Amino acid sequence: MGCVFMLCKDGSKKESMMKKIYAFESKCLGCGLCEVHCRTAHSKSKDIVKTHKRENIASAIVIEENLSSNTVSYFALQCRHCENPKCIKACISGAMYKDDSGIVLNNKEKCVGCLSCILVCPFGVIKKNDDGRSVSKCDLCVGSCEPFCVKNCPNEAIKFLDEDGARALI
Amino acid sequence: MKKYLIIGNSAAGVNAAVAIRTNDKTGDVKIISCEEFNSYGRPLISYYLNGKVKSENIYCHDEDFYRSMNLEVLLNTKAEKVDTIKKEVLVGLGERISRISYDKLLIATGSSPFIPYIKNLDFNLQKNVFTFLTYKDSVKLKEKITKNSRVVIAGAGLIGLKAAEGLFGQVASITVVDLDNRVMASVLDKSEADIIQAHIEQKFISFKLQTSICEVQGENNVSRVILSNGETLNCDILVVAVGVRPNVVLAKEAGIKTSKGMFVDEYMQTSVKDIYAAGDCVESLDLLTGESKVFALWPNASNQGGIAGLNMTGIKTRTPKTFAMNSISFFGLQLTSAGIINNSRSIDTFVDSTKNKLRKLNVLNDNLIGFVLINDNQRAGIYTSLINDKVGLSTLAYDITSKDIGFNVYSKQERTKKIWDYKGGY
Repeated sequence: MGCVFMLCKDGSKKESMMKKIYAFESKCLGCGLCEVHCRTAHSKSKDIVKTHKRENIASAIVIEENLSSNTVSYFALQCRHCENPKCIKACISGAMYKDDSGIVLNNKEKCVGCLSCILVCPFGVIKKNDDGRSVSKCDLCVGSCEPFCVKNCPNEAIKFLDEDGARALI
Repeated sequence: MKKYLIIGNSAAGVNAAVAIRTNDKTGDVKIISCEEFNSYGRPLISYYLNGKVKSENIYCHDEDFYRSMNLEVLLNTKAEKVDTIKKEVLVGLGERISRISYDKLLIATGSSPFIPYIKNLDFNLQKNVFTFLTYKDSVKLKEKITKNSRVVIAGAGLIGLKAAEGLFGQVASITVVDLDNRVMASVLDKSEADIIQAHIEQKFISFKLQTSICEVQGENNVSRVILSNGETLNCDILVVAVGVRPNVVLAKEAGIKTSKGMFVDEYMQTSVKDIYAAGDCVESLDLLTGESKVFALWPNASNQGGIAGLNMTGIKTRTPKTFAMNSISFFGLQLTSAGIINNSRSIDTFVDSTKNKLRKLNVLNDNLIGFVLINDNQRAGIYTSLINDKVGLSTLAYDITSKDIGFNVYSKQERTKKIWDYKGGY
C-alpha cells in the first residue's frame, strides 16, 4: 500500500495506486459482518464476543439501505481518504491528519470530540464515539495487508483496490 | 528563490505555509507571530482551562513540524508596518526593530476581543479582568481562579459559554450576562437557545439576559459589577467575551482596502498586489446571502489560508464562497449548525424535536439553506454538502425532512460519482 505518483501517457503526473475500499452494491447483502469485524479489529480484546459484550466501539463503516417500491439493496460506506480532506481543515485540535501513505487518521489522544469533522464530511462516515470525547473513522486497518471488513465480507461486496483496479471491475 | 512572509501563525497562516511548501520546495518561508506560543488549537483554550487538554496537547503540530517543512517561525514578533513600495515588513522584536522583505506577503492577523464601553473598566489597572481568545488568556485566567472565585462573564456567545464550561467545577459561582434575550444569539433562534441554556443551567451556571454590565467597581480589582437593569453582582473574576473584531490596523495603514475586514479577490489577494489575506481578518462572500462579511471560524481560516498559499506560489486557485458553520459541545450537549438558521417567513422550517434533541432544517425553494442539530448530528456533513453544492432537493431519492439523512439520499449514479471522483477541497 502507498501513495505514489504515476507517470501518465501524456507526461502528466497522477496520484494513484493508493488502495481504498470499494463497495459493490449489487453484491451487498446488508449482513453487517463488516461492521462486526471492524469493531473487533479496533478493540482491545480482538475477540468478537468480548468486543460485542464489553467494548463500546463505533464501527467505521456505515451500511445503508436503498428502499425502492419492490426491492431493497444495501451498500457499505467508509472514509474515502480524500486527497484534500475537509475533515483535516476543520479539525480544531490537530487530531485529524494524513499519514505519509495518504491515509486519513484520527489521533484519539488529541481529539476533543468537537465533531467539526462530522460537520464537514460529505460522506457522513465519521462517527461519534459514545464517550463523547472522540470519533471513529476508517483507518484502512493500517499495518495489516488487507482491512478486516474486506477480509471477512462473505460475498465480496467490498474490495480493497487501487482506483484502476476498481474501475476495471465496474 | 521566492521570499514568502506570513503574518500570523494560526489556522490561516500555517495552512498557507503548508500549501506554499508543498508547491515550492526551495522558497524562503517565514512566519511571524506576536504570540509567544507555537500554533495551537485556538478553540482548545477552554479545554485547557478545565484540564481536558494538557499544555503539551494544545499545539496543532509536533515540534518537528516547522523544521521538517523548513518553515522559519519568529515568535514574540509584532508586525508594526508594511512598506508596500519597498516590499518590506517592519517588525518589533522586543526593543529592536528590523525589516523583513518579501515577494509575497500574507496577512493573517486574525481578530481581537471586542471590549464594549463599561464605566470604570480598565484592563491595565484591574488585575482580575480577562478576555478569552488566546492561550495566554487561558493560562492567566487559570492561574488567577480559586475555588472561592465568583465569576461574571460578559457575553453568552460561543466564547463566553465555552469559558463558563472551562471554569465549571473550579470556582464558586459563574454568572453569564448578555444583552440579548437568548444564548448564542448570533447562531441560534430562541427555541434552540433555550435548550442549550437549560442544559447549562443544570450545572448551576446562572444567566442574566437582556441586560448588560454598565459599570464596574473596584480600583486594582473589580469587586462588583452593576447591570443596566439595576442589579449588582459581587465579582472576583470578570471575563469579557462579547465578540471579536478583525485585526486590520496594519492593513489599513498600508493602504489596503478594508471594510470591517480586508477585501480580497477570489484568489485571496488584497487590493495591493502581492499582498494576500486570509482568516478572521478578511471579508468573505456568503454563499447563501451574497453578502460580504467576516466569518471568524476555524475551518474558514484553514481553507482560506490554504488557498492563499497556493495562489502565492502562482497556482491560481479560486476561493469558493462560504457560509457559517459551527460544531461545539457544552457539558456533553452537542450542537452542530450551518447556513441560515433563523426562522423567517420566506423559509420553510422543519423541526423534529424530543427531549434534549432537536433537528431543524431550513429550506428555501428547492434548496437546503441551513440546519441546527442538537444531540442528533450523526452524518451532519451530508446536510452541509447539500447546502454547499446547492443540490436541488427534488432530485434526491427521498424527502430529507421526513427521515434521517444518509448517503442513500443520492441516486446510485450520483453516489458512485462521488465515491470515485470526490477529492475533497475547500
